[in-house]
Amino acid sequence: MKKYFGNKMAILVFTLPTLILFTLLVFYPIVQVFYKSFFDWNGLGSGVFIGFDNFIRLFDDKLFFLSNKNGFIFAAVITLFQLSMATILALAVSNLKMKGRNFFRIAYFIPVVLSVTVVCQLWLSIYNSDYGLLNRFFETLGLDFRQNWLTDRKSAIYAIAVVNAWQWMGYQFALLLAGIKSIPNSYYEAAQIDGATPVQAHMKITMPLLSETYKFCLLISVTGGIKAFTEMFIMTSGGPGTSSYTLTYMMYSAAFRSNEFGYGLAAASVLVLECLMAILVINFIFKTEPEIGGE
Amino acid sequence: MKKGISLLLILLLVLMTVVGCSSPSTETTETTAAQSETQPATEEEVVTLKIYAQYSDDDTKIPYDYAVAELAKAYPNVKLELDIQAQDDGQKLQTYAATGNLPDIFQVGLSQIETFKESGNIMILDDYAKSTGFLDKAHPSANNIIYNEDGHIYAFPYAGNELVLWYYNKALFEQYGVKVPETYEELLTAIKVFNENDIVPMSIFAKEKWITTAMFDVIATRFEPQGITKLDRGEGKASDEAYTKAAETLNELVKAGMFAEGATNTNYDQAAALFYEGKAAMFLNGQWEIQGSTEKLGENVDWMWYPVMPGYEANKLALSGGGAPGGYAVNPNSEHKELAAEVAAFISEKYCEAKYMYRGNPILAVKVDESIQPETPFPAMMEKLDNELGNITSTTTFAWGLSNPLFKVAIEDQSQFLMTKDYTPAEFIEELDKVIERMEK
Repeated sequence: MKKYFGNKMAILVFTLPTLILFTLLVFYPIVQVFYKSFFDWNGLGSGVFIGFDNFIRLFDDKLFFLSNKNGFIFAAVITLFQLSMATILALAVSNLKMKGRNFFRIAYFIPVVLSVTVVCQLWLSIYNSDYGLLNRFFETLGLDFRQNWLTDRKSAIYAIAVVNAWQWMGYQFALLLAGIKSIPNSYYEAAQIDGATPVQAHMKITMPLLSETYKFCLLISVTGGIKAFTEMFIMTSGGPGTSSYTLTYMMYSAAFRSNEFGYGLAAASVLVLECLMAILVINFIFKTEPEIGGE
Repeated sequence: MKKGISLLLILLLVLMTVVGCSSPSTETTETTAAQSETQPATEEEVVTLKIYAQYSDDDTKIPYDYAVAELAKAYPNVKLELDIQAQDDGQKLQTYAATGNLPDIFQVGLSQIETFKESGNIMILDDYAKSTGFLDKAHPSANNIIYNEDGHIYAFPYAGNELVLWYYNKALFEQYGVKVPETYEELLTAIKVFNENDIVPMSIFAKEKWITTAMFDVIATRFEPQGITKLDRGEGKASDEAYTKAAETLNELVKAGMFAEGATNTNYDQAAALFYEGKAAMFLNGQWEIQGSTEKLGENVDWMWYPVMPGYEANKLALSGGGAPGGYAVNPNSEHKELAAEVAAFISEKYCEAKYMYRGNPILAVKVDESIQPETPFPAMMEKLDNELGNITSTTTFAWGLSNPLFKVAIEDQSQFLMTKDYTPAEFIEELDKVIERMEK
């Protein structure tokens, strides 16, 4: 083993293919995103350098602020829903005394393996104003709560966020379940001897030991929320009007519908920076926690 | 034992890999052998042209198949390789252009023609239009869809000036004793009566942004016959009186309940089903809807002139829609560009014939030979349109016929927004004007 790790040449040779692919397919395009955002470019040809004009226009655009707001709403909804539901369900399923554990484990994970198009079509039917499941359900209960879920400019983004939250909850659930399984049983036995209730045991043992997993789950929910695109593209085309635009949709619309690639890339640059900031903030929060917990 | 099994599996894997990799090469050696055998028989070599065309429903498949069959007779040495057009606002074609992979012949709309002009990705076809005889066969009314604003020809069109038609169900109007609206007041009355009887006044697939653009344009032409085209050319502002009134009128109609709840999330199939099943009294779509509506509703369906606004009676016969330059264009960097241009002109002509014969559509860019007869007699609505064509005072264009991509995106988004109850005309006008200002720079 020492021979291989000490051999710098070997390390270089084995990592070089992946490094090259990563540079070509990830790093270079990202650099291009930042570079071309300073141009007035229609996708063909080389574009005209205009400095910060795209960014000045971006910060003057109502749509940019709406997109940001929608991104944060989306991230908040999916993080809250996914983390809380995944925790509760993972804790429930990890309980050896629960009947049908295997069935529930599989059932909660099925939405994750479904294609996003299929899930969106399903929820389009559920949200339909006239014959959708949701409105009919309220009708049956006698409540006058029928809503235009996807055609109301205020509720559209929440409705779409729920779709993503529903689908990907299973993924966080699986991660947390795997984490819980790796906690040695002796800890729980010790807690039981000390007279802890199940809830106290979970609060003091399970949660702190799962902090790395939670950090990862939080990361993917928050960044996934900020850069949401697929659901609003399929379900409402950013609509009604522009009320469910996110930064990614704004980039898509500017680049591919208006042929203003420079402006779209400016939005994309801001998106990359926001995700980066989110990652740094989350890392910072989770870095300080162990110190507090260790006292 | 374990070693033996794993050795056997490895051998099997290697064998299958060899078999899998070798078959294509044996196929090609067979075909080249066959080709070299037949080469002395044919003088000219087979030229394969790549074509990017719509091929998704009867309306697009039937003309294409007919054109290919006719092509085999007239140009036996030309084979077409079809690349089916994606319904993606031209993004795939844009990517082809950016990477230098444009097909020899491709179907294109006006806003992309403008983009491709700037980057040298579209061929000027003026000479070929003359030499292939396309211009001789063209309808005089089709000049606006053949010639671009700069006077050149960039594509061979086949669709004639198609229009946005306001369809209605005669039986429903009779059943509820409603007069077919000719004025705005009558329209409001109709909306009220239909809503009281649980009939959707107008069914609209507002999930697609082009129909909401058309809806706004229909109202805009009540005040300003040039509709959205005037804004597209930067000759007007959304805050002008005509467009302000149009926005306010559409907002009133939405609030009065003209459209179903959740209209902006209804797709074509759902909206058409409402109309065909008699649950909606009116429907808005292009004239290509005539075939489908007649099949489903027979004599009960008809189209009407858009209702007139008080004080603007002169605009009664102004319609929305209309052709725009677009059709089959040629890649100027193609290896066989002359042949591609000839073939493109030929295909466009054949599309017109197919539409005349099989799609009940006599409104085309090219005059069809008199010996060609339609398969079935034209639907009544089409006959009516054909007769009234001369009376139409003006037309505008569809969303895909707009020339400025910035305006196109803005009007599409804003018109869909205006179809919701919460959006105000003031917001609509403000957002549109912002874009129009930027267009001027």
